Amino acid sequence: MSVSSLKFSPDGSMLASCASDKTVKLWDSYTGAVIRTFVGHTQGISDVAWSSDGEYLASASDDKTIIIWSLELFEAVKTLKGHTNFVFCVAFNPRSNLLASGGFDETVRVWDVARGRCMKVLPAHSDPVTAVSFNHDGTRIVSCAMDGLIRIWDTESGQCLKTLVDDDNPICSHVRFSPNSQFILSATQDSTIRLWNCITSRCVKTYRGHTNRTYCIFACYSITGGRTRVVSGSEDGKVYIWDLNSRKVVQTLEGHKGASSDTPGTLVDRAVHHIDIVLAVATHPARNIIASASMEKDLTIRLWFDEDVL
Amino acid sequence: MNGPLSNPFSITYPTAVQTSLHSGALFARFDPSGRFTAAGRNDGTAVIWDLDTCGAVRWLEGHVKGITSVDWSRHSRFVLTASKDWNIVVWDLASETDPPKRHATVRFDAPVASAYFHPRNSQILLVLLATGDAYVVDLRKSQRSRVELCEPQEDDDDEAQMHRPRSAITVARFDPSGKHIFAGTSTGSVLVFNTRTKTIVGRHKITDKISAVGSMRGIEFVKSGRRLVTNSTDRTLRQFNVPIYPVPSLEGDVECLEFEWEPTHRFNDPITKTAWHAMSYSPDGEWLAGGAADPAAHKIYIWDIANDGQFASTLDGGRETLTSVHWHPNAPSIASTTNVGNILIWHIPVQERWGAFAGGFEEIDVNVEYEEKEDEFDIVGLPKYTGNLLSSQLTILAVW
Repeated sequence: MSVSSLKFSPDGSMLASCASDKTVKLWDSYTGAVIRTFVGHTQGISDVAWSSDGEYLASASDDKTIIIWSLELFEAVKTLKGHTNFVFCVAFNPRSNLLASGGFDETVRVWDVARGRCMKVLPAHSDPVTAVSFNHDGTRIVSCAMDGLIRIWDTESGQCLKTLVDDDNPICSHVRFSPNSQFILSATQDSTIRLWNCITSRCVKTYRGHTNRTYCIFACYSITGGRTRVVSGSEDGKVYIWDLNSRKVVQTLEGHKGASSDTPGTLVDRAVHHIDIVLAVATHPARNIIASASMEKDLTIRLWFDEDVL
Repeated sequence: MNGPLSNPFSITYPTAVQTSLHSGALFARFDPSGRFTAAGRNDGTAVIWDLDTCGAVRWLEGHVKGITSVDWSRHSRFVLTASKDWNIVVWDLASETDPPKRHATVRFDAPVASAYFHPRNSQILLVLLATGDAYVVDLRKSQRSRVELCEPQEDDDDEAQMHRPRSAITVARFDPSGKHIFAGTSTGSVLVFNTRTKTIVGRHKITDKISAVGSMRGIEFVKSGRRLVTNSTDRTLRQFNVPIYPVPSLEGDVECLEFEWEPTHRFNDPITKTAWHAMSYSPDGEWLAGGAADPAAHKIYIWDIANDGQFASTLDGGRETLTSVHWHPNAPSIASTTNVGNILIWHIPVQERWGAFAGGFEEIDVNVEYEEKEDEFDIVGLPKYTGNLLSSQLTILAVW
């Protein structure tokens, strides 16, 4: 059991989480109350994504399907079948008429959301695809995989535009475009997060300090109050926050070690740090709030608020 | 975003059909963002297609007879349909109902031949009836009006005026700024009206030493509004430079530019003498596409305007007769329709670049003999190199 992914809704009012218990849960971002639980997958869920209008959720599961959930009807509206192995990551394009997904069948698939049909199968990688992300106008897709490659694709034609690769080729666990689409943030399992310039294909910043050797840990931007931060989970149970430009760790979110985890599966805010690996982190789109979730021994989702906000 | 990875100067004209949408359409028009296309059908339905997914996303059902024209508002929110059932309808695509809510319906007393939005204000419409009358319709609450555009007759003696047939307007378009309305007549002249005052500011008899012009069938502008191309029944497209028209004074004094208009370029097919159904400029105005009215082929002719109007290429879309052509607002892509109702989306086919799959690999077109610099592979500067790497990471980046 573990919580595998967390995503704030586009307006920030809700937090979606998915876990290996085959459910997607919807939480209130500010109070931590459960709003809804979506049940329908037959295997554990690896990733969840919001449509840009906040009306739909897509979840990627080990049952080889993606389910699109309506937040108006609170039920599954489409089941996307086509992946031949576990689906590991999913992302909507900004217009939310397309969905990209990647999985253990080593392909990236582009789906027509309205009709629930697979439009393109990109023979993307030679190992499981660990993350996909669209750029701000939806013309590009970036994908990364356990083969250590980051590839940029043209959405319309499905053509590979370029491949970003580091010399020692570590397993790449997460990737996403910057809000202006000029940079790509990638997390690799050599305990490093890199920021790439996608035009020059050069690594422009590296962030170190956390531990990431075995799991696909998420990395996020946090852009609030004019400060740009990089946020990531870590295998030492902490959440690390770097300043994007200075590359220094500005904060780690940790509390009283080994404190209460007596209410498994509930949302605990601003108390103690996780006692297991922090897999998933998410940053609030507007306010200075970070959500984090960890694995087996500590089945909690924690919301971290900036003290100034409280 | 597309800029740095694909060369912006390589934009030319499309060469191959990308997709065919089975729409039952008579004609199709891209929206200003180029993400959708609106198709008008003979059964009175207009269909909005999403070009990302190639799926129909909205069905605008309301007319009882064939659609004659479709136009998009500037921000793609409203769609204006004109129909043979004497109505025009403004549809609000932002409404949540299905079919979308009607923003306005205006009824006329004859079949409507075409209706267009003012390029800057979606509340002002230009409507042309099949009887040859053109109207400017203002939907704004404060200034709700319907004004007919008419050509003032000269003060000749009464008898001459009675015998002179009133020329019908056969095509009416706003220029891209929306300041003027250009109307083509059945006698082969172009009348220019000021949109605000609805008074005539220009009257041009098209002179052509080679052939008589005949009735006007179409007018299209380049995006800047500096040039226009006309289509007429003599099977020739003519390009003209647009002069600067006088602004009518507040007292209503009308100064009218009246001269004979010489085309800068003429486009026709000298051998088969096919007529043209439609024409469309590329977004930069450097190419002109003309849809040939060939009954047994789907042919689009492309002329290179930047190169003195030289004929560049013919696009062959099979055997289904072409009915309309519209160029994408910002890309080398064309939507053309066939007489059986398919919309063909033309694009430039992309070559698979296998080099992109390898990291740090660059494909070159021709072999280049590589000249190694003297110290290029010397292993001396390694510590210095990492130093450079670290200092290069100190630059301040903007990620949003």
